[in-house]
Amino acid sequence: MIYLDSAATTVQKPKAVREAVYAAVSNLGSPGRGGHRYAMAAAETAYLCRERAAKLFNVRDAERIIFTMNATHALNIAIGSLVHEGSRVVVSGYEHNSVMRPLRAAGARVYVARSPLFEGEVAASVFEDLLRKPADACVVNHVSNVFGSIMPLERIAAICRERGVPLIIDASQSAGTIPIDNEALGAAFIAMPGHKGLYGPQGTGILIANHSAEPLMQGGSGSNSRSPLMPDFLPDRLEAGTHNMPGIAGLSQGIAYVLRHGEGNILSHERALISEMAESLRRLPGVKVYRAADTAQQAGVLSFEVEGRDAEEVGEELSNLGFALRAGLHCAPLAHETAGTIERGTIRASVSAFNTQAEIRSFIRAMERVTRVAK
Amino acid sequence: MNYYYLTCRSLTYAQRVSGALRTAGIRNMVVRTPQKVSRDGCGYAVRIPGDSLGMALGALASANLPPKKVLVIRRDGSTEEVSY
Repeated sequence: MIYLDSAATTVQKPKAVREAVYAAVSNLGSPGRGGHRYAMAAAETAYLCRERAAKLFNVRDAERIIFTMNATHALNIAIGSLVHEGSRVVVSGYEHNSVMRPLRAAGARVYVARSPLFEGEVAASVFEDLLRKPADACVVNHVSNVFGSIMPLERIAAICRERGVPLIIDASQSAGTIPIDNEALGAAFIAMPGHKGLYGPQGTGILIANHSAEPLMQGGSGSNSRSPLMPDFLPDRLEAGTHNMPGIAGLSQGIAYVLRHGEGNILSHERALISEMAESLRRLPGVKVYRAADTAQQAGVLSFEVEGRDAEEVGEELSNLGFALRAGLHCAPLAHETAGTIERGTIRASVSAFNTQAEIRSFIRAMERVTRVAK
Repeated sequence: MNYYYLTCRSLTYAQRVSGALRTAGIRNMVVRTPQKVSRDGCGYAVRIPGDSLGMALGALASANLPPKKVLVIRRDGSTEEVSY
């Protein structure tokens, strides 16, 4: 099967990731829970992963790298730390349910900075308008998981810094492909999965915490154990319980892969594949492609529709033909509302560093067959 | 030989301290803080040889990584906090 669903999770991982996960199961203990060889080997593995993440995202010290289960977990910590009943929060029009549901649960007053697809300049000006009034937080999905559109993060971060608004960045689709400079952005929190563009295993995520944070869970931290309260220092404050060491060992190797190959190179590769895919799909009868006129506005995610066909049915047909894509609303109804696709949903293709031009061409041949049948 | 224990607020902090000392060429090891000197419960410290304290404190001051406490553990097992 040809895998084109890396926006959900990357399935093709570097060999070193698989090997590290396998070795961790037998060789690593629990970091912070002893001074013996197994515990210290785990501690060294976890620290190396923090250091690699700190290097990739230019984070001043590794203590701000918090291990989470996924981006949703990281976003829940960030939102729970800044947003309370009645808080005024400004979000982009392309947020995922991992942002919208925690905001709803917190009782926030949410203001959506709606902007057309692939219009970064417009998005920045809408944020600027909405942030004229004081806000308790601003949340930005760096890259839409539905359309691959890229938000003008540096501009929005600058507005937030100028107005003193804590910024939460959802880097779920950008971490590992688009350079993110933590120190330059000055965001309160940056949340990301470990299992997408960082090529770690599922069950891993990272929160970069530059702001004081409230733990989502309470429990053992391996430190200050006489206290009935969670420690007031990072990362221990936000990492209660035993760590996912096989996951972290794999994530460390995944980040090493990104550091070695370079985000810029990975992004160029993904853009080239998406660009060819979009151009070929566009020529097929009845296919509507959501593509940026300016390629700099889109990452390695592409949505499309087939006229007269249900998105899920097309997804199923492609699966039967040997292609893994995701169809529907992609857990981001707000993004579909903003783009005007909420009633139909879309079919989404998303690529990684491991996809090839031959795979894209094979997919296009399958789509030629799907659209012939549709006629 | 006496050893000094540079106690740290967390394992990760101890690892940062250890890295800074290693960069400065100071032999060290991340270890559990002995319960007899820890008032906070479980924790980690960085152990350095008795003749390295001055250099270690200098390196940590440069790296802006002050230890929580400095303890000397003597050969006879007695311990004492060292002010620095």
